[in-house]
Amino acid sequence: MEKPSIPILKSGDCLITSPQVALHDKLAVQFKNDILQRIVETKAKGLVLDVSAIDVVDSFLVRQIGEIAAASSIMGGHVVVVGLRPEVAMALVEMGFSLEGVQTAINLEKGLEVLHKIWRR
Amino acid sequence: MLKGKTQEPIIESTVLIDVDTQKLKRELSTLLEHNAEEIRSQWIKEMQGQGLLAALSPTETEEQSKVIYDTCLLCLKTESYEAAQKYAASMAKKAVLQTMTVDQIITGLLILRDVYGRFIFEWYQKNPTKWRNVNGIYEPVARRILNIATQAFVAERESTIKQLQQQEVAKLSAPIADVWEGVIMIPIVGVLDSARAKQITESLLERISREKTELIAILSIGGIAAIDTKTANHILRTVHAVKLMGSEMIITGIRPDVATTLVTLGIDLSGIVTRSTMREGLEYAFDKLKLKVTKTS
Amino acid sequence: MEQKMIETLEIKNEADIIRARVRAKTIAEALGFNYMDQTRIATAVSELTRNAYQYAGEGKMTINPLNKQGRRGIEIIVEDHGPGIENIELVLKGGHSTGGGLGMGLSGSKKLMDEFDIKTKSGEGTTVTARKWL
Repeated sequence: MEKPSIPILKSGDCLITSPQVALHDKLAVQFKNDILQRIVETKAKGLVLDVSAIDVVDSFLVRQIGEIAAASSIMGGHVVVVGLRPEVAMALVEMGFSLEGVQTAINLEKGLEVLHKIWRR
Repeated sequence: MLKGKTQEPIIESTVLIDVDTQKLKRELSTLLEHNAEEIRSQWIKEMQGQGLLAALSPTETEEQSKVIYDTCLLCLKTESYEAAQKYAASMAKKAVLQTMTVDQIITGLLILRDVYGRFIFEWYQKNPTKWRNVNGIYEPVARRILNIATQAFVAERESTIKQLQQQEVAKLSAPIADVWEGVIMIPIVGVLDSARAKQITESLLERISREKTELIAILSIGGIAAIDTKTANHILRTVHAVKLMGSEMIITGIRPDVATTLVTLGIDLSGIVTRSTMREGLEYAFDKLKLKVTKTS
Repeated sequence: MEQKMIETLEIKNEADIIRARVRAKTIAEALGFNYMDQTRIATAVSELTRNAYQYAGEGKMTINPLNKQGRRGIEIIVEDHGPGIENIELVLKGGHSTGGGLGMGLSGSKKLMDEFDIKTKSGEGTTVTARKWL
């Protein structure tokens, strides 16, 4: 398997990834595919997507995240988006977008807590 | 109004013989162009006499006086004042003539207006009718240019005041109170308009981003006089934005009349946690944080 | 002085979309917009340039600093020579909340900016002009 351009780490039953570069469309789709492939391979029950390094999130990226969440849900997993920047959150709600199907948390640590809480239910 | 020394009837200066207007305008433009150096030198001389140019270098005086003179001529020739507006804006913003005060600049322009006017008079004085017609072309242009100049200064001043005001309002409008570890409160009193709501949201989101743990924000709107659709929707968006960042915002103090207004406006409050009083809001927050307030014996 | 900031960028590939929004953000910052507004502007640029790229294959973005009687702002113009947009009214109103699609990007960027204008002609192309004021 080709090494994904954005590192996806495994920690216990869940995957953690934190894109550090601006995701142009091709890269975003590649990223999504890499994540989904990894989830299948590792049978991960959760994904923590750390977007703290992303300074602009537009409709395209929102859609990719939505697709990750939907596909992951079909496979029985949960996605937590963490570290959303205030200005990005502001722009998203103003445009009328919502990140459907994902949980949110303030940082990586809290994100993992959220996942564990969900799994304990 | 100059009264002629002859027996000719006195004509109001606003009367023009239309057919000749364009021709006269061209004649006037050419006249002022050909005599540019003479008129401009006279203008500079008079300004120097009034001490207006003391803070300017000779180069700047030369350059800017030429630009202003040519710009005025352009307005006369083309009937377009865009160049004048651009230059006036740059004066107001201190991009040029930084060392001159507003008062000095306006006086300088008034002197130019006089110098032009006198020149025109001296040229046409043997033909009072023609002078009146030419003056009728010149005066509106001169007036408009001066108007543009003063307006530019006024606009700049108003802009500065507005910015200062906004900064002051910003300081007052987003008071975020730390109530407990993990709990913040934003009490809103008075009028909540879009601008203020935006300020508050931005401050709140910024505050949340700086925290290491999730917060419960209590937005208390009990003190708001009235609420409109725009503001209500903005508050809802803020709740969602806070949630996207992994925290939570609840709303307290929605008075019955405000609640009715919101329902009438069709605002969907489902999914938003609300409580009547600040106290109940706090109880919710503590409950979420698994905190309990007990009396010590 | 401000001449240096009038920018024109060709949008020929995905990387150009990123380049466009970085440039827009930089200019917005230089003009004095706060970081929240900078992001709004950059996001709108991202949406508009993507639309041009996706539906027309190419596009051109121009950034103009604005100064209207002392009031400052930024103007973004994105134009393409693509198929044009049919039923522009419908497109602007439409869209669901999960993102994606022409309508989403257009209506989204409209909400982020203060002034928004679209000129489109079937078969000829589209020009979107958006402005934000300080």
